[in-house]
Amino acid sequence: MSTEIKRMRVARTVLILIGTAGLVFGLYVLFDTVRITRLPGVALWIGAAIVLHDAVLAPVVFFLGLLLRRAGHRATGTILVLVQGAIVVGSIMTLIVVPAIVAQGLSPNNPSILPLDYGRNLALFWAALALVTTVWAGLLYARSRRANQRPSSRQS
Amino acid sequence: MYEAQRALATPSRNPRMAVVIGRLLGVAFIVCFGTGVYSHFLQEPLPWMRFPTRPALLYQFSQGTHIVAGIACFPLLLAKLYIVFPELFASPPVKSFLHLLERASIALFVGASLVQITIGLLNTYQWYPWPFPFREVHYALGWVLVGLLVLHIGIKLPIITRFWSARHEAEREATDAAGATEAPGAADAEAARLEAVRLWGSRRPSGVTGRLLAWIDATPAAPTSVSRRGFLTAVGIAGAAVVGLTAGQTFAPLDALNVFGPRKKGVGQQGVPVNRTAQRAGVTASATAAGWALTLAAGGVERSFSRAELEAMPQTEVELPIACVEGWSQLAVWRGVRLRDLADLVDADPDASFRLTSLEQRGSFRRTQMGPEYVRDPLTLVALELNGETLDLQHGYPARMIAPGRPGVLQTKWLSRIEAITA
Ligand code: HEM
Repeated sequence: MSTEIKRMRVARTVLILIGTAGLVFGLYVLFDTVRITRLPGVALWIGAAIVLHDAVLAPVVFFLGLLLRRAGHRATGTILVLVQGAIVVGSIMTLIVVPAIVAQGLSPNNPSILPLDYGRNLALFWAALALVTTVWAGLLYARSRRANQRPSSRQS
Repeated sequence: MYEAQRALATPSRNPRMAVVIGRLLGVAFIVCFGTGVYSHFLQEPLPWMRFPTRPALLYQFSQGTHIVAGIACFPLLLAKLYIVFPELFASPPVKSFLHLLERASIALFVGASLVQITIGLLNTYQWYPWPFPFREVHYALGWVLVGLLVLHIGIKLPIITRFWSARHEAEREATDAAGATEAPGAADAEAARLEAVRLWGSRRPSGVTGRLLAWIDATPAAPTSVSRRGFLTAVGIAGAAVVGLTAGQTFAPLDALNVFGPRKKGVGQQGVPVNRTAQRAGVTASATAAGWALTLAAGGVERSFSRAELEAMPQTEVELPIACVEGWSQLAVWRGVRLRDLADLVDADPDASFRLTSLEQRGSFRRTQMGPEYVRDPLTLVALELNGETLDLQHGYPARMIAPGRPGVLQTKWLSRIEAITA
């Protein structure tokens, strides 16, 4: 047991030292290659990313989850989770594609950059997602009804 | 703080899930870092560095992988942050100086990761809304992030090893199913509630906060094991979707599914996408001028070749990709004169590196270097034709470089001068 503890301590020490070295080297490269007047911009973006995530994105996700659980309190748990999952998938795709739509609006410097109709494709993606989710939910619903109609000793 | 942690507790927020998602995210970060550093040194080699020229698709593969793994980071990082979010409200917020350092390192890790993947993605859309230079910052943050990743693993190692295997998960599922005990998440939440009662008495915070917490409490709880599996499935599907629907910009078999990639195979002059245009580079006049000639120099010898003279030399046809740092790539057929034949005409030293100069007025890749491994490679051409036609102006007419395994920015267009660098 004690050798295990010792090995854990050695492993952690080594990892922490290597990690710190990488971090310090990265900061050195940053200060070495980026003009000092640009560094506040880097710090600002990193700070803003933390604030945006912790104070905007996370609470929004949290309250959306609550609203969904309330709205769907009569649905079975599985269907609720399915709908939640579909919203997650659609939102992440949207997060990645919307900047492409914005960038396309800023008129790229040649027509081979961002050549697709991203808005239409995103709408189609959501439509396909809704379709799959509906069918899937229908199947789950049918299955749970069948299970309920069968005389069963199982509770819940 | 306890109240916040309790309110945020859900079945998928547990250490096992943090380890499962964290492992995948860690792998994606390491893959991005490795491929990114490779791309960096191709562009800025240290003097002793030599690179493999085979497989000729190496850079297409490495940088394509960089962007694929990078895009996969979006669902993985968001999932990871979702799982550990309640930790933000850990209490007491700071236990010791070391704890403060740990929390500071986590904050930097979160912020820098979000910035890294965001600027990376926007870069592939050629949209640069940040007030700092992309390459330098992305490179430095790459080191910062692997450093923080290794540090993070070192700090969390006991938890990581404890929850590495699925055994704990299986035990928990078993107890859930038996209904014998509550899930550990719920137990933690209950402990937190008792602690809160101890600290503040049984009275709930009043006013808006109190009503908000009551409203949250009245919300039905998420079902446990279904919701955990559902969470993983959703993250998996999101990952498959963001990768599968974009990777066709570099990975040909997925071309038909490429509906969200910033580039599309076959779209561009002569079926090849374009990055820097002749107009942008300011070469429309100089590249079409009648007097254009390519100058080769080595030692004291210097010779110039008109396009007609180059066309009269032995021609070689190669199939090589243009593989952009932005992660897209396009295989194409090139025809032109082997660079090593030209080098021999000016008696260049076989071990010499070459400097390539473009007609471009300015730009960081106006002048680039090529190591001897590429200069002497039989696939390296001064290309005059692309896909069976005279090179389009947008692809570097009158002559451009094409070499195996190099990023597109180094495949110099609108060549003007090629000279051996004498050591
Ligand atoms: C944590 C994840 C990441 C790490 C550690 C990382 C690291 C790197 C490194 C070290 C480079 C080389 C920079 C240089 O040439 O000096 C690089 C280049 C690049 N990365 Fe990433 N990267 C990450 C995520 C991403 C993501 C998510 C994207 C886009 C979806 C991306 C897009 C790019 C692009 C376009 C380049 C080429 C830059 C250029 O040469 O102009 N990266 N990355």
